[in-house]
Amino acid sequence: MPDFLRKLIGLLLIFATVGVASCQALVASCSSSSASAPTVLTPRG
Amino acid sequence: MGRLLLWVGVVLVLLTTLILLLKWKIETMAERYRLPSGQLPSAKGMLMFLLPLPVLFAAITSLARGQLLNLLGDAAGYGLFLGGALLLRRGLLLAVDYDRRRVAKAPLPFKTLGCGVIALATGVTAWLGAGQNPLVAVAFGLAALLGCYLSYGFDPRTAKRFTDRDGVDVTDRVLEALTQAENSIAAIEQASRDIRNTELNNRLRRITALARQILKLLEEDPRDLRRARKFLNVYLDGAKQVVEGYAKTHARVSTPELEDNFRRVLSTIEDVFQEQQQKLLETDVTDLDVQIEVLATQLKREGVV
Repeated sequence: MPDFLRKLIGLLLIFATVGVASCQALVASCSSSSASAPTVLTPRG
Repeated sequence: MGRLLLWVGVVLVLLTTLILLLKWKIETMAERYRLPSGQLPSAKGMLMFLLPLPVLFAAITSLARGQLLNLLGDAAGYGLFLGGALLLRRGLLLAVDYDRRRVAKAPLPFKTLGCGVIALATGVTAWLGAGQNPLVAVAFGLAALLGCYLSYGFDPRTAKRFTDRDGVDVTDRVLEALTQAENSIAAIEQASRDIRNTELNNRLRRITALARQILKLLEEDPRDLRRARKFLNVYLDGAKQVVEGYAKTHARVSTPELEDNFRRVLSTIEDVFQEQQQKLLETDVTDLDVQIEVLATQLKREGVV
């Protein structure tokens, strides 16, 4: 495999895994509070 | 949301391709601006410090909103990312050093370790930070490991050995001599910090820079080690002892005669080091001249020229 192609695939994989997991973690931390706050605050029954 | 992620993915792919194409084009066009071998491009390995930054922001957000579980997941993920990036960067530095030298031991596997820690960090972030299924998180980690391997490679595992003209393996001896010389230079630098004189400090800085240049020549061609034995065993060691001695005495007693004597010695050391460097460079030129002559004679004999 040519060096250029190997590095391109490697970088794409890094972006697709590290980048996506990081962004998902950020989205989850921003959105979960708005979802979880009402469940905590809403009285049962 | 799905469509947005798709678009982000497409933009990322296009951007990466564009960056790599541009980099390749610039490297091809401006060959003469390339860094000399043995120097690490400053941006190498920095991607792994930048890419996980959203995890840090996620941890801060979780802390601000009082979500303990998310905070723990994000903090663990970011800590692992940072540790992995530091290990990877150290591994890349060692690999550059290994490539530059003609004689070297196999470096410690920092790069491999860094790739492993980054893969673990990706899995932990996907599982605890992003709330993915554990199996999907494992897949994230494995894909990250593959990406790191393809992009950075793993560490070299074999030592670069060196044999002298008699066929004796002298790798350990060469490495020991170079390490000792490096220690002597470091000791000179350490002692010069205790000397409060700008002029003498500048001289010492020039001397250590020259010594490092000589060491670099020896690292690149250990055959010169035989010629530079006197420099390593006598001059460098002597310079270290004199500088250390002056740094100690200078703190207690300071006389103009002592300073003049020290200045004179430093001047002699500088001249000797310059001479040594010149000799090594001239030997390289002579070796090349001999090789060219041998090749020319051979070509003439075979009727090519």
